[in-house]
Amino acid sequence: MLVSVLNGLAIGSLLFILAVGLSIVFGMMDVLNLAHGALFLGGAYLGAAFAGSWGGFLAALALAAVGGLAAGVLLSLMTEPLRKRSHLDQALLTLGVAFVVAELLIIAFGDDPLSVAAPPALDGSVSLLGATYPTYRLVLIGVGAVLALVVYLVVERTRVGALVRATVADREMVAALGVDNRMVQATVFAVGSLLAATAGVLGGPIYGARPGLDATVLILALVVVVIGGLGSVRGALVGALIIGQVDTLGRLLLPDFASFILFAALALVLVLRPHGLFGSPASAGAR
Amino acid sequence: MAQDPSVSRRRFLGLLGAATALPVLSACGSSVGGGGGSPTGGGGTIKVGLVVPQSGVYAALGTDMQRGWDLWLADHGQKFGNYTVETVVADEGETPQTGVPAVQKVLQSDGVDVVVGLVNSATALGVRDVLSESKKLLIVTNAGAEDVTGKARTPYIWRSSFTNGQIAAAMGTHLAQSGFSEGVYAIAPDYAAGTEVITAFTKAFETGGGRVVGQAKTPFGTTSDYQPFLTGIQSSGARATFCFYSGAEAISFVKQYAQFGLSSTIPLYGSGFLTEGNVLPQQGDAAVGVQTTLHYTDQLDNPANNAFVQAYSAKYGESPSCFSVQTWDAANVLDRALTSATGVDGDALAAALGGIGTVDDSPRGPWTFDNQTPRQNIYLRRVDNSGGTLVNAVVEDLGPQSQPAA
Repeated sequence: MLVSVLNGLAIGSLLFILAVGLSIVFGMMDVLNLAHGALFLGGAYLGAAFAGSWGGFLAALALAAVGGLAAGVLLSLMTEPLRKRSHLDQALLTLGVAFVVAELLIIAFGDDPLSVAAPPALDGSVSLLGATYPTYRLVLIGVGAVLALVVYLVVERTRVGALVRATVADREMVAALGVDNRMVQATVFAVGSLLAATAGVLGGPIYGARPGLDATVLILALVVVVIGGLGSVRGALVGALIIGQVDTLGRLLLPDFASFILFAALALVLVLRPHGLFGSPASAGAR
Repeated sequence: MAQDPSVSRRRFLGLLGAATALPVLSACGSSVGGGGGSPTGGGGTIKVGLVVPQSGVYAALGTDMQRGWDLWLADHGQKFGNYTVETVVADEGETPQTGVPAVQKVLQSDGVDVVVGLVNSATALGVRDVLSESKKLLIVTNAGAEDVTGKARTPYIWRSSFTNGQIAAAMGTHLAQSGFSEGVYAIAPDYAAGTEVITAFTKAFETGGGRVVGQAKTPFGTTSDYQPFLTGIQSSGARATFCFYSGAEAISFVKQYAQFGLSSTIPLYGSGFLTEGNVLPQQGDAAVGVQTTLHYTDQLDNPANNAFVQAYSAKYGESPSCFSVQTWDAANVLDRALTSATGVDGDALAAALGGIGTVDDSPRGPWTFDNQTPRQNIYLRRVDNSGGTLVNAVVEDLGPQSQPAA
């Protein structure tokens, strides 16, 4: 049981890193980025290509960060002309990008599942209150906690964060104050994509790298975003932790109904709090 | 996605249509090959189509197979009996969509007399009608599905490898007799071979008085985090775990089994592919102590294997795998058959293969054809660290086993 709870935390950490970018981009820019999962998969394959040593792991992280930033700016430029159009148009565009990226990854890495080794010192396990648990996953929980804190402080306590939150709340008003929305959008998009690609590298030792993983994590991230509420860092964090636990415990206690439980949790939140746990009706109403 | 099967089925039917034209074409082929030999069987040539994966997931297996084949021929002057062997290699690829046309191609455009190879069971089952109609012999050198020499048996398809159930049943019987009869947990990926393995294991284990306390089938090709299943094994009260994984899944499963602390309390057993070939170094220390059953390990100590391992390592710079041996043996049995065969057509070769008796110089130990597939010794092996290298050391010879009855 303890092992499952810990595992839920590890997966929750990973989901938070993945989902926070998606949440803010969607909440703030009103852009539904379905290519978010493809960014994660790209990171995972980078991890698979370089993993095995600390140097390789850190190189993969650095490459994923740079690649994620570039991809985010690119995606931001691509979706810019569609900002006045419906969500469906953006979804189609980013879905197309996701398909192209996934296909390119298959061409480059083949379509058999790859297993990714954790960095040498973390590849073992530690004893914890009588249970044995993989070291890497414990470290991942820590990394997730640190990142959550950093993102939270940046968004809630800095000028840039204030700008981002203001844009989430009322985009037109911020524009009227003389701030270039497109710059804010590109920055948020880039940072969100960076986090997604980095999450791919970090998640490699747990999820490996394989075709179809992009869709799996995208759905998990969307569930997290919907549960947590759009554009809310706190929401993404709580949503990710809840989904991590629900997914792990669900698969343990009721293996046959695991995927139902995930969406049952989603439905329950939607019935009780239609705007998510931390989403405000106002920001949803703007759409 | 939903359209793929229908497209391939249509393509496949087209191939079957083309196959009806085959007997005519291949008759021309064999007049060049077998027909060229004198009636006493001296001095002709036999053309063999070696269809093994050269691309895709199984490419490494294809390399091992071709090496086994080349090594046997090099050691025997490129001859089967009095026939000079001419080999045509074709790429099986990963799936029947590439494998079936490859077999078709060597039969039709290259006019081969015999086909050797095939890793994928679906491909081996898919070429059944092609071979029956062209009356050519196929020796399957891997594909382990029971049906190949079971429900879908034809006199033209023989097998020099193993069956999935044969290997799993030997482990079932062994575990029932070695103190684990009170409870074993069985886990395998959810696809045809996984099901065959679990079924054969469970049947043999329960026949021996054992009780399977839990069973799980993990989604095939999409499972990489085994934690929920591992926790399920821990809470089931099982005394041991039996599993069937290969490739990337074998790496993840064995590593996570150790990382979550199961390997020290619930020993891990499996079919030999769990720790065979290039997955073993990647599993690292997590694999040490894992016990598996298989019909071969390069650690076997018999004169034939010692000579084989030495020659193979000297030529290719690495140890042979069971895939090398299976293909080496395909050449071996063809050689034996051609010393007595009346021709190189499928009927003559099938009749001759039925009469070759015990193959007594195989690296895997002596074996015989039983229902066109090997009756062979299955070995219990344990992963040991031998001077820094992980090897599958022989623990026990579990004796000769046939393909389990359906």
